[in-house]
Amino acid sequence: MNLKKMLFIDRRIIYLLVAAGALYPIIRPIGLPVIPTKPVAALYDAVEKMGPENAVIVSFDYGPSSEPELNPMAGAILRHLFLRKIKVVVLALFPLGGNEEAKSELNKVVDEYDLQYGVDYVNLGYKEGGQAVMKRMAISIADVFPVDVDGRPTADMPIMAQAKNYSDISLLISLATGIIGEWWANLVNPQFGVPVSVGCTAVSAPKYYAYLRAGQMMSLLGGLKGASEYEKLLKDGYASVRQTYEKPEEKKASATTGMDVQSIVHVIIIAFIVFGNVIFFATRKEGSK
Amino acid sequence: MKRTVPLVLTFIIGMYPIFAFFVPHRIASDLNDRLDTWLIIVAAFALPLGAVNVFMINLSKISQRRKGWPYSIVILAGLVVMGSIGIAGAYRQDSIGQFQYLFQNIVSPLQSTMFSLLSFYVASAAYRAFRARNLDAGILLVSAIVVMMGRIPFGDMLSHGSMTPLSEWLMTIPNTAAQRGIIIGAALGAASMSIRIILGIERTYLGSGKD
Amino acid sequence: MRRVLIFIVSVALGALLSAPGRSQTLTDSPVQALRAHDTPSDAGRCITLTWTAAQVVPVSVLRATSPEGDFETIGEAVASDQTFADYRAEDKQAYYYKLGSTAGEVTVYSSTFGPVFSKSNWLHTGRINALVLTVLMFALIVVYINTAKKGKPLFIRRIAGLAAIDEAIGRATEMGKKMLYIPGIMSISDIQTIASLAILQHVAKQSAIYGTNLEVPNKDPLTFSAARETVKQAYLEAGKPDQYKEEMVTYLTYDQFAYAASVSGKMVREMPATNFLIGSFYAESLIFAETGQFTGALQIAGTADVPQLPFFVTTCDYTLMGEELFAASAYLSREPVLLGSIKAQDMTKAVIMVFVAAGIILLNVGFPILRNMLVAR
Repeated sequence: MNLKKMLFIDRRIIYLLVAAGALYPIIRPIGLPVIPTKPVAALYDAVEKMGPENAVIVSFDYGPSSEPELNPMAGAILRHLFLRKIKVVVLALFPLGGNEEAKSELNKVVDEYDLQYGVDYVNLGYKEGGQAVMKRMAISIADVFPVDVDGRPTADMPIMAQAKNYSDISLLISLATGIIGEWWANLVNPQFGVPVSVGCTAVSAPKYYAYLRAGQMMSLLGGLKGASEYEKLLKDGYASVRQTYEKPEEKKASATTGMDVQSIVHVIIIAFIVFGNVIFFATRKEGSK
Repeated sequence: MKRTVPLVLTFIIGMYPIFAFFVPHRIASDLNDRLDTWLIIVAAFALPLGAVNVFMINLSKISQRRKGWPYSIVILAGLVVMGSIGIAGAYRQDSIGQFQYLFQNIVSPLQSTMFSLLSFYVASAAYRAFRARNLDAGILLVSAIVVMMGRIPFGDMLSHGSMTPLSEWLMTIPNTAAQRGIIIGAALGAASMSIRIILGIERTYLGSGKD
Repeated sequence: MRRVLIFIVSVALGALLSAPGRSQTLTDSPVQALRAHDTPSDAGRCITLTWTAAQVVPVSVLRATSPEGDFETIGEAVASDQTFADYRAEDKQAYYYKLGSTAGEVTVYSSTFGPVFSKSNWLHTGRINALVLTVLMFALIVVYINTAKKGKPLFIRRIAGLAAIDEAIGRATEMGKKMLYIPGIMSISDIQTIASLAILQHVAKQSAIYGTNLEVPNKDPLTFSAARETVKQAYLEAGKPDQYKEEMVTYLTYDQFAYAASVSGKMVREMPATNFLIGSFYAESLIFAETGQFTGALQIAGTADVPQLPFFVTTCDYTLMGEELFAASAYLSREPVLLGSIKAQDMTKAVIMVFVAAGIILLNVGFPILRNMLVAR
């Protein structure tokens, strides 16, 4: 056996195995258990303590490329907020698709509950400006978003009386890819004192731990794992949500199903790493003889 | 004059946000907010510049039948179709629906597909890079495996529940410490570069380092 | 007489007991010690109210422009929050405040506080620490630049990625293949993009001197304009303006993954000998780097985006990490003035390290003074 050749295995073999590993659990779901971690449970516990007197901002700061990871997160969080009858203010600060993601996910979830637009929730749409928008929301959210996503004036909406500016907001949840989540954590929280929670892609999660440790974020949902943990907590707490996730279309799109894929692919990658190291040490031993 | 005016403007516009950061008085903050808005307007005007360049380069490629010219037709067709439907959406309601249809059924799956390539590339990069050549590489290798196992249920199943806490510890302590160190260094580097630009010492952004 | 007296007392008692919305005495208010002051360190038009209260009951915030004037409700708060910000105050206008708490048909008011005026503040007192550090950094830069101008040699350690640039250009020249320079995906307003253009200037000049093909695909229109000028000027300075072609610097698309797809396709079709991935990157970094690795190109990467560094380190031959990217212009040009600023940056980092170490020690012995001093708002 040519060990040296095996060190430089054709990457197409790796890709084929990864593809097979990703496809299998989609065709035959495994249903691996999920154990919630503290950073995720912190958000769940915080929302559990809130009710109709609280208003929460959910900012859709991601685009289609991060949809597979962040849509399940958005769905779970919105369901939890609506179950607690918390007033939800949705907005988008990500230019390429944030608005579309907010609309599609929000419209999907609100159909499951008896809610009134403008009273229980509102979609303020996308606003260009990033940090400048965040700063101005400290004074008046309605001034920054004078009309909602469909052009309706926001000033007279009953929900906006409960969400005039940051001092009325109990929690700000940013579903982010890129730098916008960091802006919420290092600009809005220290300057205006709003508790911030970020749900991000797995690749961005390491950088957010610094903000979590510093207390600038009260919770962190990292990638598909974070989303699956939140779904688990939600399903354990609410029978109605369990039933929702049993429906075939929801089950297929859920983070829990996605975790099966992630698990298999991780195992394949680890197996390749171990295999590569075994061959590496074997060739080194051969070379030294 | 050609270089002096940009340098003076850079100094004034560069110093102003620093001044406004420490001076909250309305005199400072109003103009600072306006600068933010002007930046957005300038950036928006730069988009047509880019679109014109796309047209010119690809039209020239098509007319001269250079290598890959059929793809230029695809690029221009996509630009024209999405662009015109998007602009029409400002005037016609049904164009908004068409734009959303194209976005959700073409743009969104294409972007998700490109993003999903990362999973394959991570596998091949990990196979090639994670070799325990020395102690440092060995520590990196073990940490990577612990974190990967900690992110999936298998890890806890195999380790009686200890993989997730270990993975979380790695993320919250060593990872955070390293990230903070790099972030502080990078921030200082950026601040130093910004000061050089503001003071006119660094002039490469003007197109040349020399007068 | 007695009957008259009884009648008057009965009527008075009846009036007292039946009057709707009767205000009770101030001692019944859940809110005590109401105070108001101009919100510090702001642009004015804001007054902060504080009070003491333990109950979690809603209170209305009322405001008037005189103590006897009409009080209007300007907002709602929860008594236990013990603070409220009035963002709609006009500067130099006297205001009086009180808080009302309603239980059923009874409204109880706190004492009135005023007059209070809002004003714009000239100094943000929460950022004095940042001001001191900024002034210190400016001062160090001026000192070290003056030192450099006097001719004193300033040492800067070898940065492998920057030292390898000439080797990378030489490789492409020998192989007769092109170089691909990707200046990141962010706009010219990102400092990493400016740092990347400084390196592009050097690379473009060398490619002009050696006659190597260079291509610079861009994602951002403003970066594209700046890159085009940078490359054109570099060719002019190298004395080879006729070798510069407009197609060298192109704008592809504003979409992140469409850009990634386009550049990856270029790498696979045209097989450049050298790839420079220098600037601000996000998720597409691994797509570029791994595709380049697959084509066998020599790759030099540089970014201050910490999450992307692992991808570059594992797939590229050289990686400039964080501040090494910003030191590039000084390193490549060796101009004393630029080297002086790098020295000043290092000294500032040394000061910060001393503060961090001292802060950790003091915190662990129960003195959070340094940590509290360094918090900026």
